Amino acid sequence: MAGADYSPLVIEHFERPRNTGRFEPAADVIEGRAGRPEQGCEFHVSARVGHDALIAVRISVYGCPHCIAAASWLSERLAGLGQQDLAAWSWREAAEALDVPAEKRGRMLILEDAVRHLAEAWRQRA
Amino acid sequence: MNSPIYLDYAATTPVDPRVAQCMMECLLPTGAHGNPSSTHAFGRRARALVEKARAQVAAAVGTSANTIVWTSGATESDNLAVFGVARFHADRGRHLISSKTEHKAVLDALKQLEREGFEVTYLKPDGAGIVHPEQVAQALRSDTQLVSLMHVNNETGVIQDIGAIGKLCRERGVLFHVDAAQSLGKVAIDVNAMQVDLMSLTAHKAYGPKGVGALYVRRSPPIGLRPVLFGGGQESGIRSGTLATHQIVGMGMAFELAEAERADDAMRLKSLRDRLWNAIVDLGGAEINGHAERRVANVLNVTFDGIEGESLQFALRELAVSAGAACSSASEAASYVLRALGRSDQQAQSSLRFSLGRFTTDAEIDAAIAVVQREVPRLRRVAQVS
Repeated sequence: MAGADYSPLVIEHFERPRNTGRFEPAADVIEGRAGRPEQGCEFHVSARVGHDALIAVRISVYGCPHCIAAASWLSERLAGLGQQDLAAWSWREAAEALDVPAEKRGRMLILEDAVRHLAEAWRQRA
Repeated sequence: MNSPIYLDYAATTPVDPRVAQCMMECLLPTGAHGNPSSTHAFGRRARALVEKARAQVAAAVGTSANTIVWTSGATESDNLAVFGVARFHADRGRHLISSKTEHKAVLDALKQLEREGFEVTYLKPDGAGIVHPEQVAQALRSDTQLVSLMHVNNETGVIQDIGAIGKLCRERGVLFHVDAAQSLGKVAIDVNAMQVDLMSLTAHKAYGPKGVGALYVRRSPPIGLRPVLFGGGQESGIRSGTLATHQIVGMGMAFELAEAERADDAMRLKSLRDRLWNAIVDLGGAEINGHAERRVANVLNVTFDGIEGESLQFALRELAVSAGAACSSASEAASYVLRALGRSDQQAQSSLRFSLGRFTTDAEIDAAIAVVQREVPRLRRVAQVS
């Protein structure tokens, strides 16, 4: 459990995660979730939707430091995305930015599932 | 205050300065550096110190010096007891009894015996970690040669009723081995009153050096024991190898001090531990693993609900604690001890063992409480667990 196992960016986002919480259900709020604690991680992403872009994002995460850091890092990049860009988001962006080890990449795929779920919720709302 | 704060005394202890001083005196050219097996003056000087230490260890467990065999630690003592008895008595029976929560030093030795054609019954403790004498009674068979159970569990601190099980084994004529690696200085030991036939002991959990231990072997009537180490025939042929005088002197002194200071240490550590637990319980969503009362005063094993294990450990990295046993921590598998107590993989991985010791201070516990009170609610907020 050495700090050397985590990049400085992971440690930063783990210790000071951005945009934590959840938006209450509302007409302009969409949600996406994936994973279960039994799998080792669970992501919940909620967002306020504007005319054609996400206005604000909130995350809640049960998982290892890489999971918390990835969700936090992602939450700073989702605001402003349109539907197409959201649906196309790839787990590799987070994995590369945060230097996620190979054995943790399955959890990044689960994060991608949560984003896909969010994109689908937006598509169905339209 | 050291950083991180050391709360892992069940993994190992620092050597008490009084012990280190005695050991240093053996190491120098002017010290007792002779081979204790040599007949010249240097050897005799070392031998005298070895025998003094043997008497100290014997006194700490309520026996006579001639029943103590030096080893390199509890792992070797466990191996010697398990293999030694099983192989010596194999022609009379090939069944052994142990539990699912023993240390790997016993479990892996038993697995090897199973590969050699022995049969082992592993008793499952109840949810509090207790192996009941009735379970042992039910498992005993006509071909049972050895029961091996630990006195104090290394992960939970739970104390087994060794006296009751020893009485049962003695009545049934079955040898009883006890791994007491975690016991010295925490609970009273009297091998005769407990009717124990073999007991594994180690120095490094009682403020002595690593690399030395002992096996208590009942002498009257004698136990058949096949050696596992062959060579110079030391320790009456039971355990060959040059005796490490400085290590042994350290163990003797450590055991004498631990027994003398046991009551005071226990009272102080219980107070510190309970203060830590009260602060944790105030946060909610925390549960002690193992029997809440029948455990040693210095160990606290807690499951924290709603927080993933790796995040919990990293968030509390200002505290040197264990998640699972130190011997097993290289693997990411959930603690088999906690799994045996009924915890899920997830609960086991979200558990930490805090173990306090002689050098733990009030200020360190206050600092530990502050870290836990800061990080546990924070991680729960991130996970949105109330």
